[in-house]
Amino acid sequence: MRIERREEISKIVLYSLPFLSILASLIFVGILLWFVGVNPIEAYYIMLIRTFGSKLGLSELFVKSTPLILTGLAVAIPMRAGLWNIGAEGQLYMGAFIASFVALNFASPFAIPIMFVLAAIFGAAWAFIPAILKAKFELNEIISTLLLNYVAIYWVEYLVYGPMRGKNVYNFPYSDLFPECATLPRFFDTRLHLGVIIAFLIVFIMYLTFRKTSFGFSVNVVGANPRAAEYAGIDRKKIIVYTMLIGGAIAGIAGMEEISGIHHRLRAAISPGYGYAGIPISLLAKGNILAIILSAMLFGFLYVGGSALQTTYSIPIAVVYIFQSLVVLFIIGGEFFVRYRVVR
Amino acid sequence: MIEFIVSLLQASIRAGTPLLYATLGEMITEKSGILNLGVEGLMIMGAMSGFALSFITGNPWIGILAGGFAGLILAFIHGFFSITLKVDQTVSGLMLVLLGLGLSGLIGKSYIGMVANYIDPIAIPLLSSLPILGKILFTQDLLVYSSLLITVFIWFILHKTSFGLSIIAAGENPEAADTAGINVDLVRYICLLVGGFLIGVGGAYLSLAYAKLWTEGMTAGRGWICLALVIFSGWIPQRAVIGAYLFGGLDVLSFKLQAIGFTVPYQLLKMIPYIATILVLLLSLIKDKYRLKAPSALGKPYFRGER
Repeated sequence: MRIERREEISKIVLYSLPFLSILASLIFVGILLWFVGVNPIEAYYIMLIRTFGSKLGLSELFVKSTPLILTGLAVAIPMRAGLWNIGAEGQLYMGAFIASFVALNFASPFAIPIMFVLAAIFGAAWAFIPAILKAKFELNEIISTLLLNYVAIYWVEYLVYGPMRGKNVYNFPYSDLFPECATLPRFFDTRLHLGVIIAFLIVFIMYLTFRKTSFGFSVNVVGANPRAAEYAGIDRKKIIVYTMLIGGAIAGIAGMEEISGIHHRLRAAISPGYGYAGIPISLLAKGNILAIILSAMLFGFLYVGGSALQTTYSIPIAVVYIFQSLVVLFIIGGEFFVRYRVVR
Repeated sequence: MIEFIVSLLQASIRAGTPLLYATLGEMITEKSGILNLGVEGLMIMGAMSGFALSFITGNPWIGILAGGFAGLILAFIHGFFSITLKVDQTVSGLMLVLLGLGLSGLIGKSYIGMVANYIDPIAIPLLSSLPILGKILFTQDLLVYSSLLITVFIWFILHKTSFGLSIIAAGENPEAADTAGINVDLVRYICLLVGGFLIGVGGAYLSLAYAKLWTEGMTAGRGWICLALVIFSGWIPQRAVIGAYLFGGLDVLSFKLQAIGFTVPYQLLKMIPYIATILVLLLSLIKDKYRLKAPSALGKPYFRGER
């Protein structure tokens, strides 16, 4: 038995692969749900109706997709240069930390823009550590970005149990509520906030950057063929650092938006794995920046539906991780069989 | 003071043992040329399955075996993608982390807060009554002792047997190994599965002997620390023992310091192992003599002839 490259690759099958993979994952997760004693059809019906059945559900879809769009970008941009940013979670926490610090100490009409800028800087700084270690010493960025997540999460936990714990929080590990000038405006009596629009704007800016600028071109060359980049005189190390900085900044903004748009205070568990979800989101979008919106919305749906399952059946939100990993595994497996065939 | 150091060292070994199993498991996997980034996912599945099976059967040793097999099954998925299909090992490894965290969270939900039967320490007669060393080394549980035997065994297999030579060949130069009649894919599968089993046992140790409970996400990044420990130990089994105990020590330092009234906040002490891991990795990269020890074909799929 051996493996042979197919002469003709079916374009239809290749393009429908993501959809088939999503379907296969739904079936697989359904079997698992059935296994833990939940009727999968009923569960999927609840997920759909809670998301698309009301104004509130639909608004939540956008609310949950917003951090996912940003963390998806935070992973996808370094990925274009061939780098793995597994640290979006920590970068998000660092952005949330500095945004809260500004909100609680420097209330002013300029608080929101200052929070955005500083969150981006702190997220980028957190990504700079693994980036510079990769550029200077070839330190594996997968391990270093991941380990820094734990440092950032413990840092925020330390703050809300210690120096930043609020005065009126009845001993909960929370900071005080932000003053109104430091919270993002909301629309339509829902949790839809200004950050949702900003996230879409950032996608558009990144799309233009990678479509129209020479920087975007250089990144693509480094990612596709590092040797060719060297011949073309592109400084690979610079690209490593810059793409990671952009990724970190976007993840930092995600943290600021969650804090200022949703929670209105600093607390320990800001993110149910949004940073990690950025990885499958980016892989599903295949690095295509506009496609990130679609794949983040799919995952946003899973989070909204997932929390509906959590309240209905008390199934942990971890079920979303199973779906995320299966979609990607089905895609990479499926792609193989599109491109190759097994002959006897 | 001596009492403090003795109890710190004793606890370091216990905290280091899950790391040692997982580090050894990843090491033999990498020796054959396969990079399994899913250690965290394998460990958490091991921890959950181990706890669940000990709870159901009442026998913690069945739990340990179940943990091993849970690791082995996830490793097999990685093998299917990275060895049989020869697709990107990074992607499939990372997805195993998510899969392990998700599955263990879903299936393990009903075991949160439950009490199972655990692995208890055994004091070795005579040796355990030695001053100082007796308490540190000889009042541990069987899995601590067996982890040291396994370390020696892996060293022996790698360096004293022809199968060990095949493993090293598959990891260093699969083309040459193939020419010499070694079935590269088979050798890699064996190492990956055995390695996955050991990683799963490490996870089961965590829930059944170290923490003695199951909670969602309880591995808390230990799998990633183990990936770094493989690099730190330069792919040498004996050195993994030192690395694992060192990091076990950093892990328990926070409780131990608190117990004697040291007032540094708990969360700041919890950061130490993660920062230390990065520093240690950095040191081992700066020193050239370590850098050369990575298997040359690590993470590269091997295509036999033209595909």
